[in-house]
Amino acid sequence: MNNIFKILVPTVLLLNACSKDDPITAPPVLQPSKGIYVLSEGSGGNNSKLGFYNIGNGTFNGDFFKQQNGSDLGQIANDMIQYGSKIYIVMNESSNVTVITAATAMLIKRIDLVNGATKRFPRYAAAYKSNVYVSATDGTVSVIDTASLAIVKTIPVGANPEGLAVSGNYLYVANSGGYNASPDSTVSVIDLNTQMEIKKIITGTKNSQRVEVNSIGDVYVSGYGNFGSIPASVSVINSSTNTIKSELGASYNYPFFRLYHDVAFFYNNYGGSGTAKVYNTVTNTLIRAEFITDASIVTTPYGLNIDEENGDVYITDAKDYSSAGSVTCFDKDGKKKFSFSVAPGINPNKVIFTR
Amino acid sequence: MRKGQPSFSSIYIRAISIAATTMLLFVAQAYSQNVDTLPNVSVRAVNINDSHSPLPHQFLSKETLSKINSLSVADAVKFLPGVIVKDYGGIGGLKTISVRSLGANSTGIMYDGIVLSDAQNGQIDLGKLSLDNVDNIALYSAQPEDILLPARTFSASSIVVINSTLPQSNPAKSLSGRVSFKTGSFGFLSPAVLLRLYRGKHFHQQLSTEYQHANGKYFFKGYEAGSGKKIRSNAFVNALRLEYDAGYSISDSNIITFKSYYYNSSRGLPGAIVLYNSQTHEKLLDENFFVQGSWRKNLSALSNLLFNAKYSFNKNKYSDPDFPNSQGGIENNFLQEEIYISGVYALNFSKVLSFSYGNDFYITTLRRHDDFSQGFVMPVRSSWLNNLALKAKFTRAEILGDLLYSRISDKVKLGNVGNDIDALSPTLAVAFSPFVSVPLSLRAFYKQTFRVPTFNDLYYTFIGNSSLRPEYAKQYNAGLTYTTSSKGFIQTIVFTSDFYINDVTNKIIAVPRQNLFQWTMLNVGKVKINGVDAAVQLYSKKFEKNFITTRFSYTYQEALDKSLGSASYNNQLPYTPKHSGSMTLQFSGDRLTAAYNAVFSGYRYRIGDQTNENLVKGWATQDINMSYNFTGGKIVEYKLTCEVNNIFNKQYEIIRYYPMPGLNFRIGLNMQF
Repeated sequence: MNNIFKILVPTVLLLNACSKDDPITAPPVLQPSKGIYVLSEGSGGNNSKLGFYNIGNGTFNGDFFKQQNGSDLGQIANDMIQYGSKIYIVMNESSNVTVITAATAMLIKRIDLVNGATKRFPRYAAAYKSNVYVSATDGTVSVIDTASLAIVKTIPVGANPEGLAVSGNYLYVANSGGYNASPDSTVSVIDLNTQMEIKKIITGTKNSQRVEVNSIGDVYVSGYGNFGSIPASVSVINSSTNTIKSELGASYNYPFFRLYHDVAFFYNNYGGSGTAKVYNTVTNTLIRAEFITDASIVTTPYGLNIDEENGDVYITDAKDYSSAGSVTCFDKDGKKKFSFSVAPGINPNKVIFTR
Repeated sequence: MRKGQPSFSSIYIRAISIAATTMLLFVAQAYSQNVDTLPNVSVRAVNINDSHSPLPHQFLSKETLSKINSLSVADAVKFLPGVIVKDYGGIGGLKTISVRSLGANSTGIMYDGIVLSDAQNGQIDLGKLSLDNVDNIALYSAQPEDILLPARTFSASSIVVINSTLPQSNPAKSLSGRVSFKTGSFGFLSPAVLLRLYRGKHFHQQLSTEYQHANGKYFFKGYEAGSGKKIRSNAFVNALRLEYDAGYSISDSNIITFKSYYYNSSRGLPGAIVLYNSQTHEKLLDENFFVQGSWRKNLSALSNLLFNAKYSFNKNKYSDPDFPNSQGGIENNFLQEEIYISGVYALNFSKVLSFSYGNDFYITTLRRHDDFSQGFVMPVRSSWLNNLALKAKFTRAEILGDLLYSRISDKVKLGNVGNDIDALSPTLAVAFSPFVSVPLSLRAFYKQTFRVPTFNDLYYTFIGNSSLRPEYAKQYNAGLTYTTSSKGFIQTIVFTSDFYINDVTNKIIAVPRQNLFQWTMLNVGKVKINGVDAAVQLYSKKFEKNFITTRFSYTYQEALDKSLGSASYNNQLPYTPKHSGSMTLQFSGDRLTAAYNAVFSGYRYRIGDQTNENLVKGWATQDINMSYNFTGGKIVEYKLTCEVNNIFNKQYEIIRYYPMPGLNFRIGLNMQF
């Protein structure tokens, strides 16, 4: 009876995912990508997958993690980031951060995110100065020391934090409040020297999901609204004053986005028309109302990642959320280069490039 | 948390007072009319018919039930062909059945003459129905053969008829009873008492009570690679059952019965295994209560009247202290109530032809008493069923037909109300024994039924869809029963087999509306089921008091998704094995009984997408049990029972990531006086 509730509410509130990376600093000269790791969230039932796509011969290994380690990844993989030679995979319902080698996806450690006997349900990760910061639905950000791979501190933030990003000495955390009757509209600011929350900035965006920072220190925050009377929206925070700089308004009702070299790709990870809107966050001008410029179709853009080396845009497609998804690579002009199915992966949400 | 308790306790008091008043009425009547002839108080709501019935049915007698390893009705019915039990594992795990792949919502469960109701979810957890007080169970495809039955009996696509222990027709003592105690694996402890009081031949009362406690813990092999044994935790159960029955027979042809039932349980919900961390602290509390009265009167040698009335409530409270909202936990508190009245009139025109007309009316309400009660729709459903049945019984043939007219309408406090339902549902069944000298009986039936959308289907926040229409099922069945008797070791063989085609249209399924956040219920499903059920029962010759009975059953089901545009078009329905079956081998002696029981299921898929990822392996379990009777003086009989389940300690699952218990046992001592 209540099973429906039990299944749907968490699924509903947790499975909205894309990702978050480190803020872009001056990029080094990169090698072309040899391959691509694709993280698929799964649909519950312990079917999260880490696949590997070999760009050289166009083959995809759908369950690369299992092949390398003999074990399954777990349930609901929400995010992964690369930091140094390791990849940190955020396992929401298995409630851990699974650390693997970036080169071969060999398991190094599973770091449990628990509060006594209660799961924290981690969501997203961001790295800064030998630490990986992990937001979790229980209202915390945990700090992982990347040398010892242990949790060294757990910082209380707002309700049900989601995306997080570093700007200067600050960590910005989107508090969604997605499990409450009315969603939250704040962003927590954490001083990375003291590892304490110093402020909650009230934004015009409700149920915020994603946070990223551009080169001039503008913090972009996007959120779902309430799926009804309050639409999705995007707010901009000035990180030098930690106050609201602007609200992008009704033509930017997107809950998700990615930033790349100051260019934002806004997208809906559910419904809505079009795939992604391209926007210059420094000049505040629309670049292209629709990213895709050929006849390609992405049914459900679920994650968007950019290859730093050549600006190629990889959009993951969750299709109907219950069958195998796919990844399509576009050049920066929005023309399809190639695509592949991530079967048996369901709900692919993140890609990482290996050089 | 909001305190919503007052209304519950007031209902409780009201129910108790109704029960008390009715009891008093019975007692008063019993004492006032103490002289009469020799009427017989034993009343069966449903009679178990012979092998010439036009409707396929399977029967588990008290004898058989005592020799299959079972604690609940769910454990017993899995031995019947056509039945697929969905068992979430463990002593407190949800257990529902689907008969002939039509789903749990299409299976009626009748308990002592009246169908149990759950308009919220539409399915009854058979794990909560204890076998302690059950005398026999019958499963009918379509409907029972009897026509003197409430209209609601004819509304399900199949029906499980459960009859609790009833008084003997000619009691030797005015007070008799049974005291029993069971214990075993999972920290299981269960005392039970049954008392039966006769006052003359007219009046009897019976009280049955049982308490079950189990910590529910068991070992299973961890799902993580290289993992060893793990313990299934948060699987405890505490359950109390109280049943009071009274019957008064004014005469053989004029009988009143009364029943009141109370069940209260709390249990942990261990949930599906989540790799690397399966911690949950979810809990479910249930409180079920009903009172029912029944009056059966033979107006003449040819005509009968049956009246029934019932009040019931089902209260459930789900809590999850880990739910990450700002209140630090969630609680769902539902109260469902139903008032039911029913009348049936049956007339035998002649020895061949009989007819009945039944009229049922019931009102079902659902309320919430939690943080979400403000915005709750509070549905009230009125159901009015009319059934006209005709039966013609010849020496070697029988024709049975009925037409059920249902009118169902909802009212809600807020939001959109579901559509009214006006439906005619016909059934036609025939049986024919073609040869005088060959014990072969052929049968066929056609039945059309619908399942009413549940309150959850219609009104569940975000998911519910008030524009749903009923889900329709058409069943076509052809079968035979062949019985042989000989003087050899095997004295009797009963072979039954049925072939069926079920067409389900407008099937109600959950589909993502736009995204994972917004699922909704839609009438988009179509299913075509082709199946074969077969069972053979062998009865050995009696050697003094020793004999052997054995039963094999087998089911083949091809249940294909025929929904247009479905990604799993033409794939087998989830959790529906193509092959399944069971076997029982039971020995009865003077004092000793022993039995071997086995159930198997072929592989199936978790969802319609038939990939290796979604494959759930086939399984088989084998159980044994023994009992020994001995007397302690003249008036007391003892029975010692011992059951060993899953003797080969097989690790298996019925629902993916819900591990089932391995080897486990129960022992019991039963004292009858």
